[in-house]
Parts: sequence; structure tokens; C-alpha cells
Amino acid sequence: MTGERGAGSPRHEAESAKRRRERWAIGAVAFLVAGLTLLEAYLAAVGGSVAFSSNIVIFALINLNVILVVLLIFLVTRNVFKILLDRRRKILGAKIRSRLVLIFICFSLIPTILLFIAATNITTTSIKSWIGGRVGQALSGALEIARKQLETEAAAMSPLAEEAADRLASAPAAKDPADALRFDRSPTREDAVLLLVRRGAIAARDGTIPPAVENEILFRLKGIAGDGAGKGHSTLIGEEYAASWRPAGEGDRVVAVKPIPPAESARIRDIARAYDEYHQVRLLDDPIRASYVGILILITLLIVFAASWMGIYLARQITVPVQMLAEGTEKVAGGNLDVSLDYTSDDEFGTLVASFNRMTADLKAMKRNLEEANVSLSGTYEELRRRTQFIETILDNISTGVVVIDRHGRVSMINKVAGRLLGIPTDRALGELYRDVVREEHYEAIRGLYREAGETGGGQVERQVELVLGGKKVALRVSLTALRDDAGEYLGLVAAFDDLSQAMRLQRVLAWREVARRIAHDIRNPLTPIQLSAERMRRKYAAAHEGDPVFEECTQAILSEVTTLKLLVDEFTRFARMPAPVFSEGDLAGEARQLVETYRDAHPGIRWEFVAGEMPPVWFDPHQIRRAITNLLENATAALSAGGRVEVACSFERDSGLARVTVSDDGPGISAEDRDRIFEPYFSRREGGTGLGLAIVSAIASDHGGVVRMRDNRPRGAVFELEFPVRPQGKE
Amino acid sequence: MLLVVASGSAVAAPRPKIVEVSGTIQGSEARVRFTLQNAFTPEMVEALKSGIEISFRITVEVDRVYRAWFDQTVGSVRHTSSVRYDVLSKVYRLHRSDGNELLPDIHAALDRMTRFEIAVPVNGAVDRGKPYHARVRARLDKAGLSETLRSIIFFSSLWDVETDWARGFLHSP
Repeated sequence: MTGERGAGSPRHEAESAKRRRERWAIGAVAFLVAGLTLLEAYLAAVGGSVAFSSNIVIFALINLNVILVVLLIFLVTRNVFKILLDRRRKILGAKIRSRLVLIFICFSLIPTILLFIAATNITTTSIKSWIGGRVGQALSGALEIARKQLETEAAAMSPLAEEAADRLASAPAAKDPADALRFDRSPTREDAVLLLVRRGAIAARDGTIPPAVENEILFRLKGIAGDGAGKGHSTLIGEEYAASWRPAGEGDRVVAVKPIPPAESARIRDIARAYDEYHQVRLLDDPIRASYVGILILITLLIVFAASWMGIYLARQITVPVQMLAEGTEKVAGGNLDVSLDYTSDDEFGTLVASFNRMTADLKAMKRNLEEANVSLSGTYEELRRRTQFIETILDNISTGVVVIDRHGRVSMINKVAGRLLGIPTDRALGELYRDVVREEHYEAIRGLYREAGETGGGQVERQVELVLGGKKVALRVSLTALRDDAGEYLGLVAAFDDLSQAMRLQRVLAWREVARRIAHDIRNPLTPIQLSAERMRRKYAAAHEGDPVFEECTQAILSEVTTLKLLVDEFTRFARMPAPVFSEGDLAGEARQLVETYRDAHPGIRWEFVAGEMPPVWFDPHQIRRAITNLLENATAALSAGGRVEVACSFERDSGLARVTVSDDGPGISAEDRDRIFEPYFSRREGGTGLGLAIVSAIASDHGGVVRMRDNRPRGAVFELEFPVRPQGKE
Repeated sequence: MLLVVASGSAVAAPRPKIVEVSGTIQGSEARVRFTLQNAFTPEMVEALKSGIEISFRITVEVDRVYRAWFDQTVGSVRHTSSVRYDVLSKVYRLHRSDGNELLPDIHAALDRMTRFEIAVPVNGAVDRGKPYHARVRARLDKAGLSETLRSIIFFSSLWDVETDWARGFLHSP
């Protein structure tokens, strides 16, 4: 049936073989029943000379016929029960098969039964009418008329026989008796034949009659003993003759025979046969009726069972392919495309099954192609995913913010830097209209740039803009590029943002370093002569101006300010001449902890806390980093002159590979207007501050490839974050 | 078909038998006399009157009887006897292997159909005074229905008449 249950399946093969055997069995049984019935009929017809009732062959045939009919009934009944069982088991195709069989049986039963009833009635009625009184009377009357006619004919022969007998009695014994039979007769008796019967044989004749008639007459005369003529037995009639006889002495008899013309004889014979048959029919009324009914029953049974079997066969012819198709479709629906129905026929079902097999084969081929395409697509998709991931990784790890906007103005890609620079949550920005995502002032700026890019004709524009993010001005270099495909169709826009703040800050630091170097150079040289001159004046004129407070105060002031200036120059010199960092792998958290402990001892009025997470070994310049952290702690200590809390935390961000040292205090914090300048050299709100501490921290952070940031601490205070890579470039 | 068979068997079957088997054996033949009893049921008599020809086939075998050995069949014959009523002539026509007869009425016909004396040729010489017996069996040979009826009730046996073998010693003077 199907590929599994189909052509090659053992179950299907066995089922098909069984069906073939059943068909052969039913066909053979029907053939045998018909053949044996015909044989019995033939034997009965030709077996008139044998007592077929006791003939074992007839009995065997009859019994065999009965057995075969019973077998036919069994096979049909079994098939019907099997169909009902299949229907109860809800096997596919059982319903339609049972319906078809029921219809076929009804269509065969109804007319057959009606025909049987009608035929039985007609037969019974015909037999009744045949053996009714009128037919019998008519036949009896006809026979009596025929007999009377023959007897009349025979009586008419009586004078002739008597005359011949007289002639023989008067004739001499030596004379030929045949001569005595030859005499002139009346014209009405010219066709009569005269016979002389002597000792049971024909001794002489005048005229000819058929030998059978002669024998018949002789035979009948034998049965008449003595002189029967005197007892009224002188006439003989038969189907072909009418005769009268007389004794002619010495045991001789003269017979005058009147041959009956053949046509009339045939009519008489027919009447006699009809009379016989009529009486036989009357006598055998019941057996005849039973025979007719039996024949009708046999025919009815044969028709019914043949029709039933034909119904079952046709139903199976219809339902088997339907059932196979249903099962095959169910398997295909279940995903099994290895279904191939084994059904070959030149009818529509064969075409349907062939189409189904072709369909499953096509589906299988398509599925195979799809699977191959899917594998190919999976590979392509994996390649694309890897590339996309690679690009995203690149975009997430570059310092440039990138935003891609499609032709409909929706954000199709945004990296972390862009999100940070523009203050946009990247996970929620994807798929949204960019004007809904960016801030109003940023949107206007971007739109202006976009418009400008359109006006340039090249579709690309690059500008430096300043945006306010978190209350802080950020200098960005924005590059807008319109995307177009090969056909020039607009695809969207790519915006790249570079944070120039750090670069600008470095430039400022470098500028300040140059200023510091020149100032230190220009100031350092006159300071020593000034100091030496002031000391000389004090030594030379101390005695002269003894008691003069002005001289003492002025020279002292000169020396003091020179000392201060020297310190300032030394600081400038250090700032201007900060050496390049010498990297080594070390314990950043350990360095920070030591500094915190030092400050905890020095400033017991402040609550110091240190937090460190899991940290890998960090490449850094211990001297410079200690100096940077010290500057941050110094600032915090200065901010907490009245006491407070300082928390130092060391952490490591695995994704970005950055080490971070955070110094938080709960002091007064940094005002908004000072935030942009606190990392600039010589900017300090603290009395006596040189304004170089945070600038140096910024320079150290920059030299380590990192940054230093400041933000508000909540609820109060400031937070400084020193962040740099765990491994600088070249230390991979 | 079952009904037909049943209807056939439903016709009352007589229990015929051969009785009074006797006779003499001498020369080259044996003359065996016997009577067929219960061969004609009332239905058969009615059938005979209705023109149905009824035939019996009689089998007669003559055996030389030995006391301490198997009997030896020395002669056998099959004799046919039939009777039919001629409705036109109103006589019963009796046909037998040894001759034909016309009988005026049913009684004479039945008498002649049930009483037999059949000559059986014997092989070899008859041993005088030695024991011989005749074995006789009769069965209905034909119920002569008309062609029309025979084609109708071909399954029906009508009557099933068959006797067992009957034996009787023959006088061997």
C-alpha cells in the first residue's frame, strides 16, 4: 500500500494475497455451483433410464452443490462481518465500504426477492390453473371424442371383417387364403387392410400397413384369449389404426384394419400425451411446485450472493485506493514523505494514486531541496551573524559613536558609544524613529546637518558640534553619510560621532605644559639672584636697620615669596616635564588599599572605606597611578574638612577590559559651572591650590590610555572615576 | 435446492422386499420364482394409472453353495419389467425381458409386475442334488415421466424403491 505499508510492506503483500485467494475461491465456488447444477440438470434429463434417485453420483453432486452454496454463503457473510468489524474499529474506508456493500445488497435483494415472490406466485397459479377442473374435463372430453371416433372407425370395419371371415370359411382349405381376402369392397372401405392371423402370425394380407401397426395388432390379439368377438372385444383401436376382427375357424382370425391418416394420428397422439401429462401433473403437484420453488430459491440465492460478492468486490475496488490514499495522506500530513502507494490500475483511481505518488515524490524532492537550501542559508546566516557580530563588536569597541538610520527614519543600528554620547538607551532605540529617540536639540542639530548633507550633493557632511549632555558640554565631530545602493536608491543614513572633549583636553594640557615650562624657565632664572640679593641685604644691612621692622619684614617677604615661587616653579616643572609612564604588571587594588590606609591614619576624622572586586593583574605605572589616586584622595580630604565619608572602590569591567578606581565623597560636590574646568591646569577654587592636581590626574589617565571622569554623588558629594585598560596596547 | 431434496424425500418411501424365492435348476438353466412385495405404494399406483411408466430392474444370480468354501456364482441375469397404462386403448402394457403382455386392469398389471419366474442361464453343468441358491434384488429403474415433467423435477426422486438381496434355495433334481 504505502511505502511502509504500501508496495513493499509484508502486511500489504499478505493482505493482497489473501484478497486474491478469496476472489479465486468465490469465483471457483460460483463456477462450480453453476457447473454442477448444469451437470445435474443434464444427468436428470438424459437419465430417464436410470434410477437417478439412488444414483450416488447425483447425490454426491447435490451434496457438493449444497456444500458449495454454503461455502459461498460463508464467504459472503464473513466479508460482511469483516466490514462491520472494520467499521466498528473505525478503520479508514470502512464506512464507505459498508455503505457501498449495503447499497449493492439492497439493490440486489429487493428486485430479486420481488422477482422470487412474483415467480413463485406465477408458478403456483399456473400449476393450479393447469390442474384445474376445466383443463382436465377438456382433455378427458377430447380423449373420449378421439376414442369414439376410432371405435366408430373400427365398427365400420366390422362388416368387412365378417365378410372376409365368411369367405375364408367357405373357401377350400387348399386354396390360397390370400385370395379369400381379395374381393370387391364398397368404395368406403377401399383403403382398409385385411389381415389373416394364423397361430399368432400374419398368414395373408390384402393391402399394406406399417409393420409397427401389424405388430401392435398381433400383440393385442395375443392378449385376447378364445373367441373374444362374441364378448364385444372384436374391435381394436390405437393411435394409428382402428380395426375389427372375426374368428375364421381353426384359430384363424381375420382383421379389417383402417389406417388412420398421419395428421389425424398425430392429433390423437397429442391428445393422449396431454391427457397423460395432465394426470401426471395433478399427481405430482407438490413435487413440481417444490421443484419450481427450489429452482427459484437456488437462482435467488445465487443472484443475491453473487450480487453481494460483486458489491463487496466493487466496494473494495473503490475503497481500497481511497483507504490507501487516506492513510497515505495521513502519513504525509505527519511529515512522512516516503509514502508510495502500490496500486496500479488504468481507471481514475489509478490516475489518482499515480498523481498522489508523484505529489509525494515532488514534495520529497522539494523538502530535500529546502533542507539543502536551509543548510546553505544556515551557513550563510551563520556567516552573516558572525560578520554582524564582528561589526557590532567593532562598533562597540571603537571610540566613535555610530548610528544607522534607514530610509524611513528608523534607527536600525546604534552602538554603545553613540548611545552614551547622545544619551540614548541603545536597547530601546532600535526600530524607533530617530526623532522620537534623540533629544529635541540633538534632533534639530542632526536635521540641520542632514539638510546640509543633502545640499552638498555628495551626501556627506562632517562638522564639529557642541552638545550638552548631562549638563556638560561635549564637543563632537559628527559625520553624516547618506547610504545609496548601486541604483542610487536612498537606503538611509550613517552618523558617526567622535568625542573631541578628551582630545581638546589633552591639547589644552599640552598647551598648559608648554606655558608652565616657559613660565618655570623664565621665572626660575631671576629667582635665585633675587633670593641671594635679599639674603645679602639682610646680612649687609641687618645691623643698619636693626630695630627697623620694615626692613626685616620686606626682606623676609622677599625670601618667603621667592621660596613660594620656587615651589611653584618646581610644580610647573614637574607638570611640564611629566615622564612617560613605565608600565609593569601589578596589583592596582593593593596600591589603592595602601593609600587608603595611609590617609585613614592621617585623617582620623574622616570615615574611609575601601571596596575591591575581583581584579586581574593590571599593567600600570605604580608611581604615576599612586600620584593620581593621591591627588584624588587629597581633593576628597580637602572637601571634607569638617569630616565625612570617603569610599574608594576598585573594579574590573570584563567586557571592555577596563580597570576602574572610583573615589567618592559626600562633601559639597562640584558646582555645575566648574565641572568643565576642573581638569584644566591652574583652575582651583581651593585656597592655596595650584590647580594642577586634577590636570595631572587627567594627564596620567591619558598616558595610561584611559580617562578620568567626574559626576555627582547621590545624595551629595562628588565621584571621580579613573579608568584605563588593564592591558595597554602592545601588552597583549 | 434443499427444499427440492427435502420434498423428494418427503414422498413416502415403501419398504419393498423380495420374498418366496424358490425354483429349480437343471440342465443349463435355473428357473427362479419370487414375489416382489410392497413395491407399489399407493402413490405409485396412482402414478401408474396416470400414465407414468414404471420399470423395475431385477438382478438374479445363481450360486453353487459350498459348505466349507466360498459360494460360486454360476449364472446371473438382469431382467427388466415395466408397465404403462395406455389411456387410449385402456389397457396396461407390460414389457418384460421374456415377453410383452396386455393386461385389462390395474390388479392384473400389479400382479404380473410382482410375480416373477425368470430363467437364468447357468455356466457349466449342474450338479444334481447339490445345493444352489438364487439371490435376487430389485430396484426401481425408471419412473417414466413425460419430458416436460422430467425437466421440471429433475432433482426429485419421487420414489426410492430398492430391495435388499433375498435368497432362496433351488431344487436341483
